[in-house]
Amino acid sequence: MRQDQTWGNRLFDIINHSVLFIVAIVCVLPFVYVLAVSFASPAEVAKGGLILWPKEWSLVSYQYIFSSDTLPRSLLVSIYITVVGTLINLAFTSLMAYPLSKPHLRGRNPILLGVLITMLFSGGMIPTYFVVNGLNLTNTLWSLMIPNAISAFNLIVLKNFFQQIPDGLEDSAKIDGCNDLGVLIRIVLPLSLPAMATFGLFYAVAHWNTFFNAILYINDNEKWPIQVLLREIVILAQSRVGDSSFDEMDVQPLTIRMAVIVFATVPILLVYPFLQKHFAKGVMLGSVKG
Amino acid sequence: MKKRWMTTVMAVLAGMMVVTACGDKSGGSGVNGDGPYPLTLVVNQVGEIPDPNNPMEEKIREYTNTDLRIQWIPYSAYDEKVNVMVASNELPKLIKLNYTPTTISSLEADLFWDITTHLKNYPNLAAQPQAYYDNISVNGKVYGIPLFRDMGRAIVSYRKDWLDAAGLKEPVTLDDWYEIIRYSTEEDPDGNGKRDTYGMMLDKGYNQGTASTLTRLAVSQGAPNKWGIDEQGNFYPEFESEQFFEVMKLFRKLYEEKLINQDFAVVDSSELNKVYESGRANIRISGGNGQSLQTKLEKVVPEAVVDVSALQGPEGIRVPGESGNTGFLAIPKSTVKSEEELAKVLNFVDKLLDPEMVNVINKGIEGVHYEVEGDYTVTIDADKDAQEVKPYRDTFPQRGDLYNMEKKPKGTELFNKNKQIVYENENYIVPNPALTLKSNTYNERGGELEQIITDAQTKFIMGQIDEAGWKAEVERWRKSGGDQMAAEYKESYEKQE
Repeated sequence: MRQDQTWGNRLFDIINHSVLFIVAIVCVLPFVYVLAVSFASPAEVAKGGLILWPKEWSLVSYQYIFSSDTLPRSLLVSIYITVVGTLINLAFTSLMAYPLSKPHLRGRNPILLGVLITMLFSGGMIPTYFVVNGLNLTNTLWSLMIPNAISAFNLIVLKNFFQQIPDGLEDSAKIDGCNDLGVLIRIVLPLSLPAMATFGLFYAVAHWNTFFNAILYINDNEKWPIQVLLREIVILAQSRVGDSSFDEMDVQPLTIRMAVIVFATVPILLVYPFLQKHFAKGVMLGSVKG
Repeated sequence: MKKRWMTTVMAVLAGMMVVTACGDKSGGSGVNGDGPYPLTLVVNQVGEIPDPNNPMEEKIREYTNTDLRIQWIPYSAYDEKVNVMVASNELPKLIKLNYTPTTISSLEADLFWDITTHLKNYPNLAAQPQAYYDNISVNGKVYGIPLFRDMGRAIVSYRKDWLDAAGLKEPVTLDDWYEIIRYSTEEDPDGNGKRDTYGMMLDKGYNQGTASTLTRLAVSQGAPNKWGIDEQGNFYPEFESEQFFEVMKLFRKLYEEKLINQDFAVVDSSELNKVYESGRANIRISGGNGQSLQTKLEKVVPEAVVDVSALQGPEGIRVPGESGNTGFLAIPKSTVKSEEELAKVLNFVDKLLDPEMVNVINKGIEGVHYEVEGDYTVTIDADKDAQEVKPYRDTFPQRGDLYNMEKKPKGTELFNKNKQIVYENENYIVPNPALTLKSNTYNERGGELEQIITDAQTKFIMGQIDEAGWKAEVERWRKSGGDQMAAEYKESYEKQE
């Protein structure tokens, strides 16, 4: 095969690889930098000159993070709303998308139109706050999971995905004695694993990054997810908010900020490899012949 | 079989409910009744949120005879959250507001108590200089108690060891500035044989807001602070004054000769701090205390000596006046319903400025956070102080050792010198005449207009446009709303007279 390649082909390959390599480096370097600073000793960072590999490794920043229970607690809150929130998202999105994928459903178009409108117009921050507050959801973690339980965009894409599943499969399940819910759970959902994995990931990342809603809806700081704390630590250190004439010191040194960033980013990064295998799998793998 | 599926699904859903329900407990309900007056306070968060039952808060509750409950809101979304609270009428009895256009409109809508006439009944509140209240007033009315800050914070800090070695003195004229910056860039003041130092460095905020280096330097040379008023009573922007343009020309020259950092238009102030703290830069105009730079610098360059001087020019000391607050505490009408209750809330704030409370808020608890050494007090542990005392110091009204503090905190010579300069700066303040004036154009398009000018300044300093180009940009600013803004300020100014 190799010798068949023309000179032009090979040149293309070289350029292709080098461009991709550079892009990859550009993507990875910031992560490496953050990781390196978080593990470096504060003195080394203060001196400057640290680029990608600390000379002295140190766990001081991580010790500091774990010295109070604030960050670990908020990490638990984040994990909780991500796991439960995503389950709610997937349950409700598929329960709504499946009926809407059936052309014989009465009132299907008006409902779809209703869904579409929410994509284009939203109620705005304060009216939404009124609704959440009126439902007594404020100051509970539900306020971060219920109001956006179904994303209109994901719903429509999932509905289209369901429509592609051959009717024959569902008919055969019906013949075997399944009702509609049974068809959805035993036939349609297992076949839609790649889609569910994708949307699960979208939803999970959105939950993990919950920041603004948490500040709006949650007053009790024990229920703040990690992004709120992260933002506070990073921003406070930069802008020296409210410096008094007494002292003007950095609230947190750079190493601690970086450690918090690692702390807030790594858990969600770990999810990707486990979901990736679903992206690769074929949808209709060995289901219907011919 | 159907049924089994249904039950499984129901069981899963029910299970989710049970699991999530655990998150809802512990809401905590406010207890009413006799005894301490229940008082809720909303302020922005500073560092980690303190435990509500810590000794400091207990002491404040006890002294003021209130059941004080503080809600801390992250700084990054403070104004949005406050807007939501105002709109949904879920306000506490006392809330920190920032002087922003939205806040001003809710003050004008009479949602908060006008306390102008009440202030005189409270000895501590009445004792504070009127200027602090003027700076938060709306149409001449005062709606809150400012969180006091020094008004003339700008100070020049420099490496005394470098200047001494070169036989230079602290700068007065722009030529002095040029010479100091040139020397410390070109003549290798740190003696390592490499050209790796800068006389001065700028960050991307060098021409923005109250901390603008351009404004501070120009004011010292005689320019107005943000806005000037000419003989006919017309408002003109600072950048049309001759002195301001001289400062811009100075930086253009410095940039061209590579005497200041070439990446100033994009670099963050935190990056800049690092360079100063590692001993690779000399002079700077800042709002901090020179001592904190000295402390950090010593760790890297043990022989470094930092000194500070007042911001001065040919006409003597001139410092741009800042607003003198980081927001103010306002009292919503929806939660504090009667004048009697208003008196209770104001009484609470007044008590915070009593000597005993001043000590607690500024220094914490004796024996835990500070101890007394003769006529001074000494902080025991700086980290503990930052974690446990700073949140209160930054969000409660206090004037440091300027008001009702019996024993002053002990500081180094440099620290005290810096503090003294800042206090004396109050006599040399050049106020910003437009600070509390109203301009609709500013509220609607202020940011956009400022962008035109800040971009043009950067381009001018970098040599991308010449003087004619700069004049054209100023003209564009005038046409796009600058003229209108000046006219609106003039109108508002004349109304106040």
